[in-house]
Amino acid sequence: MSNIVSCRNVSKVFGHADLAVQALQGINLDIHAGDFATLAGPSGSGKTTLLNMIGALDTPSSGEVVIDGQPLARLTAAQLSEIRLHKVGFVFQAYNLIPVLSARENIEFVLELQGVPGAERKERALNALADVALEGLADRRPAQMSGGQQQRVAVARALVSRPAIVLADEPTANLDSKTSEELIALMYRLNQERGTTFVIGTHDPGVMAHSKRHIQLLDGRIDGDGQG
Amino acid sequence: MSGTLHSFIQLAWRNMWRNPRRTLITLVVVSAGLWSILFFNAFLNAWMQSSKDATLKLLIGSGQIHAREYMDNPNIKTVMAPPGARLRAALERPEIAAWSARLVLPGVIQSEYKTRPVNIAGVDPATERRLSSIPAKIVRGRYLNGVDDDGVVLGLHMAKRLKTGLGRRVILMSQNADGTVSEQSFTVVGLFDANQKTEDFYVFTGRAADQRFLHLNAEISEIAFAVPNDADLDPVLTRLRAAAPQLDVRSWRQLSTYLAATDSMMRGVIYIWLAVVFSMMAIGIVNTQLMAVFERLHEFGLLRALGMTPRRVLMMVSLESLFLIGVGCLVGMALAALTIWGLRGGIDLSAFAKGLELVQGGQVLFPKFDLASFVVFPLLIWLLGILVALWPASRAAKASPVEAMRHAT
Ligand SMILES: Nc1ncnc2c1ncn2[C@@H]1O[C@H](COP(=O)(O)OP(=O)(O)OP(=O)(O)O)[C@@H](O)[C@H]1O
Ligand SMILES: [Mg+2]
Repeated sequence: MSNIVSCRNVSKVFGHADLAVQALQGINLDIHAGDFATLAGPSGSGKTTLLNMIGALDTPSSGEVVIDGQPLARLTAAQLSEIRLHKVGFVFQAYNLIPVLSARENIEFVLELQGVPGAERKERALNALADVALEGLADRRPAQMSGGQQQRVAVARALVSRPAIVLADEPTANLDSKTSEELIALMYRLNQERGTTFVIGTHDPGVMAHSKRHIQLLDGRIDGDGQG
Repeated sequence: MSGTLHSFIQLAWRNMWRNPRRTLITLVVVSAGLWSILFFNAFLNAWMQSSKDATLKLLIGSGQIHAREYMDNPNIKTVMAPPGARLRAALERPEIAAWSARLVLPGVIQSEYKTRPVNIAGVDPATERRLSSIPAKIVRGRYLNGVDDDGVVLGLHMAKRLKTGLGRRVILMSQNADGTVSEQSFTVVGLFDANQKTEDFYVFTGRAADQRFLHLNAEISEIAFAVPNDADLDPVLTRLRAAAPQLDVRSWRQLSTYLAATDSMMRGVIYIWLAVVFSMMAIGIVNTQLMAVFERLHEFGLLRALGMTPRRVLMMVSLESLFLIGVGCLVGMALAALTIWGLRGGIDLSAFAKGLELVQGGQVLFPKFDLASFVVFPLLIWLLGILVALWPASRAAKASPVEAMRHAT
């Protein structure tokens, strides 16, 4: 199996001296193509911090992260942006969407950043909306959609650029259990049908129930990694 | 990239209207500031124009030609021949609305009671009427009839000083071409009402009569000319100098240094005003844009997380300022144009005329729409505005993509 992401000895320290917080300690982790992995652990165990490393949102204090064959060490902020734009899709806990853009425009925005031409952009955005069963809400602004619908638009946006990996940090935290279940089922289906790689940070047992691989974090270390 | 630009424009435009109250405040600040600059500029220009007109049209004209030594030492030896064919051709060009050849020499005027030094001006009434406003300022009697008219026209104040009046006789004395002093009695045929300085400085008679009086042939001492369009003045001066290289061709700026100084001071004032207004606008723009940026730091973090480079974020936020200030400038321009149009009938300052003694005669100002300032000032405000808005924009560009993951709730 090929590695989409490799973390070698990744540590992350926030702050200095007395106030230093060791958020991650010597993480070694490979994410394989087609993974549908959950990242769990108590609050403060480092889930968000690790997802930030995997997604090139942040750089480790020491150790090495390689995304899709590209080592992240010594990349500039602009170069990291490029990696995120082309290789990573994100679904955050909330406020995923740009409020002044419609669902379709939010999805198209990423394609525009990638330089995809207009006609293709529109078609791909509408297809992505159809994939998450929201084709009817293409012209709605985020404020006119429910939390679950917004998260599905975020999933559609994360997928539309055909990234190597999709990272989701507590994507269901603001949703009721039925909507959570639907969102996870949707991501799982996309993983099954397209082979898209997912890593999902979560507390939600319902989410973990779907996972094919379960990574447990404790105090910034990997406390368990097994097939779910 | 063009697709990206399109979406940036759309996003920036919509973001601009997200907080209509704040947008409106910025629009009001920018448009009121620009309005005040454009209107103040038109007002000052009109004021300058009217005081310039009043001064220059009185006697000076847009410029004058003399013999080289005349300005330093005006006397019977520093006169010159009437214009030859080449100079005449240069004076007859369409840029010059009128020109008038005069014989102006220092002398003395004497009544039964008083003697005063004065400049005796021999003029051609026909050309003088087109150049100078004095013929129209006769309040008693008449102006001169022709070059041979040997009547004399005095200023009101001069007549009062000499205790003379219409129909009375005065004696003019001046050095003549033979080196002796001519002395001759002239009848007062008219009185003019200008400012006191001009009234005390000049008396007028027919040019040929003056030449006979001073034993001259056709010699003159000055040619005054009027160029209605300011922009034509420099080329006209160049042509006249080429046509009469032996003569001294001067513009009104060299002839009336006071007026020239006032003119450049007025231009300075408008830039001081621009600086004052702009500082206030800059504070307003930076304030509102900083607020707008801080409110949306999470969103900029999201854009950075999605793969937007810091530079593109900076561009996008700058684009918002560009629209905001641009719209403000357009509104300010429209308001200023409307105000100037509304005042096209003139601003009557006669109520304040007492306090405006330095503005001779010009009591009604006519503000004019001036295309150049409607291009330059808005552009300046726009560019400077975008420049100061770079600060809030750079703050947005520094938003951390990690912020999009954290504090999500
Ligand atoms: N920017 C930061 N500055 C300082 N400390 C930080 C920062 N980000 C995270 N930390 C600390 O690092 C540790 C790991 O945080 P992290 O957010 O990764 O945990 P988490 O597992 O995602 O927790 P939760 O389940 O609450 O989201 C915590 O102790 C946290 O306080
Ligand atoms: Mg977290």
